[in-house]
Amino acid sequence: MTALRLIQPSTARLIRVFAALLLALPLLSACGYNTIPTAEEQAKAAWSEVLNQYQRRADLIPNLVETVKGYAAHEKEVLEGVVEARAKATQVTLPADALTNPEAFKAFQEGQAGLTSALSRLLAVVENYPDLKANQNFLALQAQLEGTENRIAVARRDYIEAVRVYNTALRTFPSVLWATLWFTGNKPFENFTASEGASEPPKVNFN
Amino acid sequence: MLAGMVFLLLPLVALAASLPALTGRVVDTAGVIDAASEAALVQKLEAFEKKSSDQIVVTTIPSLEGEAIEPYANKLFRAWGLGQAGEDNGILLIVAPNDRRMRIEVGYGLEGTLTDLHSKLIIENTMVPAFRAGDYAGGITRAVDDIILVLEGNAAELEARARRNQDTGVTGDDIAVVLFITVWALLFFGGFAFAILPRIFGRKLGPGRYEWLGRTFRYNNGSRSSGRGWSSGSSSGWSDGSSGGGFSGGGGSSGGGGSSGSW
Repeated sequence: MTALRLIQPSTARLIRVFAALLLALPLLSACGYNTIPTAEEQAKAAWSEVLNQYQRRADLIPNLVETVKGYAAHEKEVLEGVVEARAKATQVTLPADALTNPEAFKAFQEGQAGLTSALSRLLAVVENYPDLKANQNFLALQAQLEGTENRIAVARRDYIEAVRVYNTALRTFPSVLWATLWFTGNKPFENFTASEGASEPPKVNFN
Repeated sequence: MLAGMVFLLLPLVALAASLPALTGRVVDTAGVIDAASEAALVQKLEAFEKKSSDQIVVTTIPSLEGEAIEPYANKLFRAWGLGQAGEDNGILLIVAPNDRRMRIEVGYGLEGTLTDLHSKLIIENTMVPAFRAGDYAGGITRAVDDIILVLEGNAAELEARARRNQDTGVTGDDIAVVLFITVWALLFFGGFAFAILPRIFGRKLGPGRYEWLGRTFRYNNGSRSSGRGWSSGSSSGWSDGSSGGGFSGGGGSSGGGGSSGSW
């Protein structure tokens, strides 16, 4: 009968207080307390996916460069451009506060944009080498690279949307009350300014 | 004089094509698949979903309206929610005949089985030659056969996936959850019971003192204790979305896996 002894009448009151607290917890979340942390975690998760896909692209490049070298060794300039851009992009070390630090975010974005344009130059040059294009190894790498580029685009879109939700929560009612009263350390996250390559209008040459 | 170089500015607002409704496993908006092939395709895809829980949907659209096929396919995939929720085992085969573009969009869960290279090979070796010959129905049917072949190639994984998503009975996990909630509810509401019941059913010994079940309970204040109803821990059951005649996506998502091509 230990259970009976545990619930002595004097402790019954304590239990009631505890129960009232438990019941109050869901009400707290209904006040919008959870909105900001939830949006923040979602934005961070979306950012991890962006980093993950950029990393995968960087991992694919050495193999791609080696394969292209075998067929188009004299396209030295383009190949070196890719290797350099990759080194530059992977050298950007992200500080812990990268998402709230405009300089670090910009440096990261510029590094990756440089790699994107170097890669597109390489793939344009490859068009001149039918033997290379027929190579099975190259075909596999190309498929993976295209897939990764598309995943980067999707991950960036998801990140843009997640950050939009988070930054909106920080500035709109009622979550702004929590932001000013409780989550005072939460700063808006940086976002991608435009999709890569979309800032430059396509050039049409009639000459 | 006309400048030699002309800059064409695309409108910043992307021309987004409106998304068609998911009316079945084959949504032939462009009308390039004949009725017999469509019926055969639907049957094949239905049988495959029964076996593997993988949802493959074929769609054709008349025009992308200026949008690239990759973002459009991803948007459509997510809007339709192909594949089972949590498993993300959906595949969208999309063809835009007037733009001469096609894409195989693969859900997160199948990226490891139907790799980007598989998708690319199916597009280049199966679909492109057929489409060049104008045989849309044949190209799509053979592409679906190839996709199923690849998915079936990883037989062990396929069976495991099917088992995970066809469990409709009560599993050990469910029992554990119900037990946990019951025990927890008993402990939690037991406190209430002992706070209230002795006052109601017990014999009053004095102010704030009651005897019930051979024990003496003391209440040292006159605070009102509110009665509280019992709420049983209800576990929501999973309902199988694919039962019945209609077809709907299972709630899966895609992160842009797969491959695109043109002819």
